[in-house]
Amino acid sequence: MSAALLIKHLVKQFGTGKPAVDDVNFEVPAGEIVVLLGPSGCGKTTTLRCVAGLEHPTGGRISIGGRVVSEPQRGVLVSPRERDIGMVFQSYAVWPHMTVRQNVAYPLKHRRSGGGDIDAKVRETLELVGLGEYADRSATLLSGGQMQRVALARSLVYRPQLLLLDEPLSNLDAKLRIRLRDELRRILKATGMTGLYVTHDQAEAVVLGDRIGVMRNGKLLQMAPPGEIYNRPADSFVANFTGASNFLLGKVLERKGETVTIDLGAPGRIEAWTPQSLAAGDTARVALRAENIRLGERGPVNAFTGKVVDRRYQGMQTVYDVEFGGQKLEVLELGTAARHQPGEVALTLPPDTCWAYRDEGQAAVE
Amino acid sequence: MTATSAAALPATTEAAPAARRWAAPLWVGALLIILAFLVVYPLLMLFFGAVSDSNPVIDGFGKFNPSLEHFVTVLANENVHLAFVNALVACGGGTALAVVIGLAFSWIVVRTNTPFRGFIAGASMIPLFVPPLVAGVAWSILGSPKTGLLNTSLKWIGIDFRFDFYSMSGLILVFGFYYAPYVYMFTASALRNMDPSLEEASEVSGASAFTTLFTVTFPLIAPAILAGSLLSFVVMLGIYGIPAALGTPANINVLTTYIFKLTAWSPPLYNTAAAVAILLMLVTAILVWAQQRVLSGKSFATVAGKAFRPRSLNLGPWRWFTFGLALVYLFIVVILPTVALIIASTRKFLFFKDFAAVFDMKAYGWSHYASVFDNPLTMLSIWNTLKVGFITALVGGTLAFAIGYTINRTHVPGRRLIDLLSTIPVAIPGLVVGVAYLWAWIGLPGGLYGTLTILALAFVARFIPDTVKALSTSFMQIHKELEEASWICGRGLLGTIRSIMLPLAKPGVVASMTLLFVLAVRELGSSLFLYTSNTTVMAVLLLDYYEGGNVGKTAAFSLVQTVILGVLLGITNWLSRGAAQGSARAG
Repeated sequence: MSAALLIKHLVKQFGTGKPAVDDVNFEVPAGEIVVLLGPSGCGKTTTLRCVAGLEHPTGGRISIGGRVVSEPQRGVLVSPRERDIGMVFQSYAVWPHMTVRQNVAYPLKHRRSGGGDIDAKVRETLELVGLGEYADRSATLLSGGQMQRVALARSLVYRPQLLLLDEPLSNLDAKLRIRLRDELRRILKATGMTGLYVTHDQAEAVVLGDRIGVMRNGKLLQMAPPGEIYNRPADSFVANFTGASNFLLGKVLERKGETVTIDLGAPGRIEAWTPQSLAAGDTARVALRAENIRLGERGPVNAFTGKVVDRRYQGMQTVYDVEFGGQKLEVLELGTAARHQPGEVALTLPPDTCWAYRDEGQAAVE
Repeated sequence: MTATSAAALPATTEAAPAARRWAAPLWVGALLIILAFLVVYPLLMLFFGAVSDSNPVIDGFGKFNPSLEHFVTVLANENVHLAFVNALVACGGGTALAVVIGLAFSWIVVRTNTPFRGFIAGASMIPLFVPPLVAGVAWSILGSPKTGLLNTSLKWIGIDFRFDFYSMSGLILVFGFYYAPYVYMFTASALRNMDPSLEEASEVSGASAFTTLFTVTFPLIAPAILAGSLLSFVVMLGIYGIPAALGTPANINVLTTYIFKLTAWSPPLYNTAAAVAILLMLVTAILVWAQQRVLSGKSFATVAGKAFRPRSLNLGPWRWFTFGLALVYLFIVVILPTVALIIASTRKFLFFKDFAAVFDMKAYGWSHYASVFDNPLTMLSIWNTLKVGFITALVGGTLAFAIGYTINRTHVPGRRLIDLLSTIPVAIPGLVVGVAYLWAWIGLPGGLYGTLTILALAFVARFIPDTVKALSTSFMQIHKELEEASWICGRGLLGTIRSIMLPLAKPGVVASMTLLFVLAVRELGSSLFLYTSNTTVMAVLLLDYYEGGNVGKTAAFSLVQTVILGVLLGITNWLSRGAAQGSARAG
């Protein structure tokens, strides 16, 4: 039933100029959920629509379950209806002139391979998404969350090989979004569906994705499990996009394996991890998450002295602005007590959480 | 979107089957051929006619002696100059009056606390539904210099003043009164969308309400005023009924009446008519282009698109004065003409020796109605009109749906050209469409000329831009993803149109078809050149009665027509409301 998705060198160019999707490669093994994450205009939705067949790629190959569905070089283009996929749209696209049951039964009635006991399948799927009692309700009388479930049921009812989800939660209010997010993962995992999910919300990506692919300007920057995206970001954009808001500039002194020593100038030297080919003499940009910096501690390496210049108490956490050898750091302390006063303070930057990248200017980060 | 058409379930890899690859070009080609047949070919024939001296009836198809000389001779003709100047003066004056009335009403309705504003807003749109010829007939009964009812009344009262609506000023007055709604539509919505703080800022700076109106409000909505007045000018320019009823008795020809006169001469001057029609079309095209420029310009930037609660000015006791103005307008454009038609149609002789004679019941009767319906042509024309209306609505609606879908919902190559061709008729007055169709079909064997079909085709061509536009608006309200979801679910392009697009667009489709029906029923200009005695329609027959000089019969048939139109409007309104509600219930 569920099948693997394979994307090779996918390119989509609208008119002239920069391609919206630029040489994207990845694979979604059967039963896995991959989330494409990135700011708006990064090409994630275009990638998804190319997989669906709603956009026609200009290069590369897409295969679903071993069958090539798009390869413009060889003139292969399978229409969306023949790709055996399900899709949940951002606007839900629940047809307003039909009831819930009619919406969900629609694909079963209009697919060649569909059929069977339509009523039973519809009932079973509506139970799965928790809408068992709403079958005969008109689609216009549903709340946003219920519409979203109808859209999900409609795309699950025929057990497609692959399920595509285009920001399905972005039109819901914050509370509902969190509830449905957890439920969505439960339902998807219960059906064992292969999924490709597009969002700009990191929290959604982390909860839903077995792996996350971060995109920017049409390129796939990194594709890895959530833990790796958060602890081993492949470049400064991924680091920043997932929340590493601090950057320190310095010069690389030496490199040993994945560890580099960087001269930050006035404060001294720092040890950091790097995934890139930094060599001695390069200018480096060290990214740090505010919550990974230890304030008031003096560890064995990367221990410094800084100066708290501002403190913002936020109830469950406190944010400190720390001056550190002419550069600025934002530090987050969890807990309801703010333990540090403005003035001199010891701080440790654990080497594992200092990620060094080649400095390509501020523009490359944002 | 070719990829969504039907094809067998594919194997592991496959190339698009031939049927799928050819579907889009075939479809676009078919639409282009239809549009070429409806729009391009008649226009080309019109140009050929204008630059040649061959007669389409006698010489048939093959013989043209193209020469620009002919066209130049026509343009140099004094009578053409006179008709051109008359048209500009009548439409210019009419537009000026329409701007004054339309602006006043939009201000009264949107910006004051005048009582019964909803009623005034509705009433000020009524003239749009009055067929121009009926309005012309009514005002000739009221305002003819000798026997006009107004003048008879003045005589009784003893006032030594006589109206003469058979004149340029009469033409201007009737134009201005009946086409003010075009200005009103634009200015009222501009006023409604205007940020009130712009006016408040002026008043805080020390300007009086009156000064603010003329230094801030009106300048800010100037683009809307300009767009509305250009539109009303264009509409007046293409109208045949009013100048035919009021101008012709005084020998005042405008372009439209002059063109018809040329074809009614014996022998008919079809070439000259074509040349003048092109002149009329050029002027119209320039004005339509200017109007589109005004509408698409950035001039509206200061008038934000956000919804504001419009400021309403407390007029105090003056609000009854503004209400009175609205009543006077309603009296002039609706009540007075209706009363005139009723009196003229029921009185045996339209002559009153004194005031008491008005109430002499012996002088009234149904004889005019009887003689109208004794004429077998009357029922024939009514049936013909309904048939033509029905065909126009069906063919035009279907074609507009196909065009609207293709240009709004697909990416097929050639859709821009389809868009362009289907927009061209915007700049062609109905009368010119008539002349072009005459040139296109009169010389062709096959007998299309002189059938009801040719009338319906001319109407379809004439109204296709409005219909496509109306349908496109309703397509735009249907989210693209509703369609895409159906494709993903395994439905093909045609199946999706049938089960998703059609049900959702139904209110829009029904509304545009009924609008087409009503427009076709009241159309006169293009029918003038295409009817035969067997295919006469209501509007043409009314003109016949009028030119025959029997005021009673003309008035009677005017009322019959107005009632039929009113009933049709009621039915269609009920139909489209039903469609809208039906889909609101289901969707």
